[in-house]
Amino acid sequence: MKSEHIQHLYNRVGFGITPKELARLSKKSKKYVVNELFASSKKVTSLSVDTSYLKGISFKDLKEPKQRRELQKISRKKVQEFSTAWFQRLNNPSEILREKMTLFWANHFVCESKNILYAESYNNMLRRNALGNFNNFTKTVSKEAAMLAYLNNKQNKKESPNENFARELMELFTLGQDQYTEQDIKESARSFTGYTNNVKGKFFFREKYHDENNKTFFGKTGNFQGDDIIDIILEKKQCARFISEKIYRYFVNENINEKHVNEMVEVFYKDYNIEKLMRFVLLSKWFYADENIGTKIKSPIEFLVGINTIVPYTIEKQNQVLLLQRLLGQILLSPPNVAGWKTGRNWIDSNTIVTRLRLPSVLLNNAEIAYSEIGDEETMITNFKKRKLRRKAFIKVSADWNSFEENYKKKSNKELVHQIITTKINSGTEVMLERNQQLSKHDFVVQLMSLPEYQLC
Amino acid sequence: MKRRDFLKRTTFASGMFFVPQFLKAFEQLPVKTFSNKKVVIIQLKGGNDGLNTVVPFNNDIYYQERNNIAINKNDVFKISDEVGLHKSLQPLQDLYNKGFVSIINNVGYPNPNLSHFRSTDIWQTASDSNEYLQNGWVGRYLDYTKGNPYAAIEVDESLSLMMKGKTQNGLAITDPKMFYNPMRAPFFNNVVTNYNDAHLSEHNLGYLYNTMIDAKSSAKHIFEKSNTKSTTAAYPKNIFGKQLNTISQFINSGLETQVYYAGLSGFDTHANQAGTQERLLKVYAESMEVFINDLQKNNSFDDVLILTFSEFGRRVKQNESKGTDHGTANNVFVMGKNLKKQGLYNDLPNLGDLDKNGNLKYEIDFREVYATILDKWLQVDDVAILNKSFSKLNFV
Repeated sequence: MKSEHIQHLYNRVGFGITPKELARLSKKSKKYVVNELFASSKKVTSLSVDTSYLKGISFKDLKEPKQRRELQKISRKKVQEFSTAWFQRLNNPSEILREKMTLFWANHFVCESKNILYAESYNNMLRRNALGNFNNFTKTVSKEAAMLAYLNNKQNKKESPNENFARELMELFTLGQDQYTEQDIKESARSFTGYTNNVKGKFFFREKYHDENNKTFFGKTGNFQGDDIIDIILEKKQCARFISEKIYRYFVNENINEKHVNEMVEVFYKDYNIEKLMRFVLLSKWFYADENIGTKIKSPIEFLVGINTIVPYTIEKQNQVLLLQRLLGQILLSPPNVAGWKTGRNWIDSNTIVTRLRLPSVLLNNAEIAYSEIGDEETMITNFKKRKLRRKAFIKVSADWNSFEENYKKKSNKELVHQIITTKINSGTEVMLERNQQLSKHDFVVQLMSLPEYQLC
Repeated sequence: MKRRDFLKRTTFASGMFFVPQFLKAFEQLPVKTFSNKKVVIIQLKGGNDGLNTVVPFNNDIYYQERNNIAINKNDVFKISDEVGLHKSLQPLQDLYNKGFVSIINNVGYPNPNLSHFRSTDIWQTASDSNEYLQNGWVGRYLDYTKGNPYAAIEVDESLSLMMKGKTQNGLAITDPKMFYNPMRAPFFNNVVTNYNDAHLSEHNLGYLYNTMIDAKSSAKHIFEKSNTKSTTAAYPKNIFGKQLNTISQFINSGLETQVYYAGLSGFDTHANQAGTQERLLKVYAESMEVFINDLQKNNSFDDVLILTFSEFGRRVKQNESKGTDHGTANNVFVMGKNLKKQGLYNDLPNLGDLDKNGNLKYEIDFREVYATILDKWLQVDDVAILNKSFSKLNFV
């Protein structure tokens, strides 16, 4: 397999590749390389944080307002801890493809929870189903405690259905806009009535809140429950198309190629097997076409983790991990809304581009970064007196330059360019790089990562 | 090598060899300001419940449909025999009495889409409900006027679709100094001045460079200009107050920016609406009061028009969770000094005449509001910017 194709593959299903790995794989066939990716992602390694503080807490404790508030506070902290743990995981994944897919699904089945048990369960549910069956996946999502709360399905009762989940299920999770009517939303909301969970997050169905009457949904009539609705939705080929397009945009190219997507739809519609679909994409010839290489704008996480593949680094303070994500516009476990993050050019504006170009120096050369407190909804109403609206910070980082040295020792600065950058370089910038080749390898690589070209993969 | 040396050396090495043509052109571009008028746009994000904001306190249907979330007659400040504003809006009372507020009711669009994101996109792009535009109406205003990026500023950390045009984008700035400082680093000069490609935003790489160049060219100007003026007004200590404070600083310093955009989130009240809405409207009203008084004190209110909208209103009938589901038409607030029509612009919605989903029917297309602002206030060709002709209203 051609080196640049392996690089491309690993940029898209992972976060880049080291020269050593690249050298090992470049002797293998495409089939071998792709097979190995799937084989190494067979396992599911759950992610967790220590929640032993919850031991001995009873349902009664939660009813007492003061104690409940205290527990909520701890829980929110734990969610941040979990978010950082996820970032660590992405930086050191053993199941690369599975982790990348988990990240993808987190921006598809978008959900947020400040309850650590629910957030953890939801995240591992994404990981478990990331390469599984989409039908099963969607049904599982609908029953997760985090989702039941996030889209108010818990409050969906027969006397007065709450439509929030039903609407987003079709609009964002399965079919896309304009593929259903308001009536379809109402009927499907009725079918999901009675969904709830216990305090530990385990799903159960409360029959007395379920609407037992017939519902008519997409031309079918029956006493449907949520699972039936999902089955009926997935009978529509549009669902296979909607998901295929999303996967194409994420893994292949922001601009849809109808022909390629049609091929994907045929594969996916058969049994909604995500692994088969991904295999098809990664083995296809068009995935490796020039027009798809080096054209995608990296997400903030792809950007941050990508740097780590080149020079491994550890951010010492948890809140600084979150700060960097915020400045770049993507905090893990904290999506802007149920539609998730808008990708592609939406990642880049006048602020984020500057932050991105500075970040390699900030992380690897102890440069300083300034930021403003904008806060979230919670802090929106709190008094700011104690907090400064403008702050400067040195991000405390330990960078493993030895590992970089080891990985790249055989590479000259000139060779380094195409190890780090896969896109075509602007001619003016190329001249600049040519002139700067006498720089030390450390400085040169930081400079490479500080270029607009490095924002693409 | 230390960071400082690294930066010095890379600058020294490359110098200013390649000043690309378009960059020169950009810097020589005259500021084409068509009018000195300014518009401040505020979005109440999440779909504010307009019926509990502008309250029909004598309407039986209102109380029937909302038996435990309707606003009590005694909890409003009355602006007519039938209509009162939510008590949290009390800080606006003085402004209202002075005739600085116009409330336009029943604003919406045909075939409403009840999704937050789609509806926000529709409001931001001024598209039809079945049309998907990749640029916003303010962005197209920039395209049309060939305005500098700083002709439109969103006071936030990232830029909304509204501010993105086909060829020009606005800027996202929370603090002028913080925006400027990082770009002073020599490395940025280096990267920017070495760019050598005429294709600009046609491909992603061009887009990246272009965004960078825009940011750099604007940052210095904004910083230096706005630095001369700092406010003494006591803005509420919350994010929204801080946003308005920044906008007043820009306006009062005479920055050439014509459109500002800020937002207040949290209005998606599916459950237990009352407390949340009360809190948010209070944040809104308190900040607006200080903002307008600040502009008045600096003699700049004459040239400012403020528009507040939400992507949709809520369903008339409340739900079981003491909240409301996504709805349609909603009220829009316009604030300014010389409004042609003060107070209630038109009648409140007819709660006895709902669509088949139990939603309000719209009377005024939101794009009529935009067309009016573009045509009568900013004095540009609204049809060219909105891609269609809309009738004009009489609030300015």
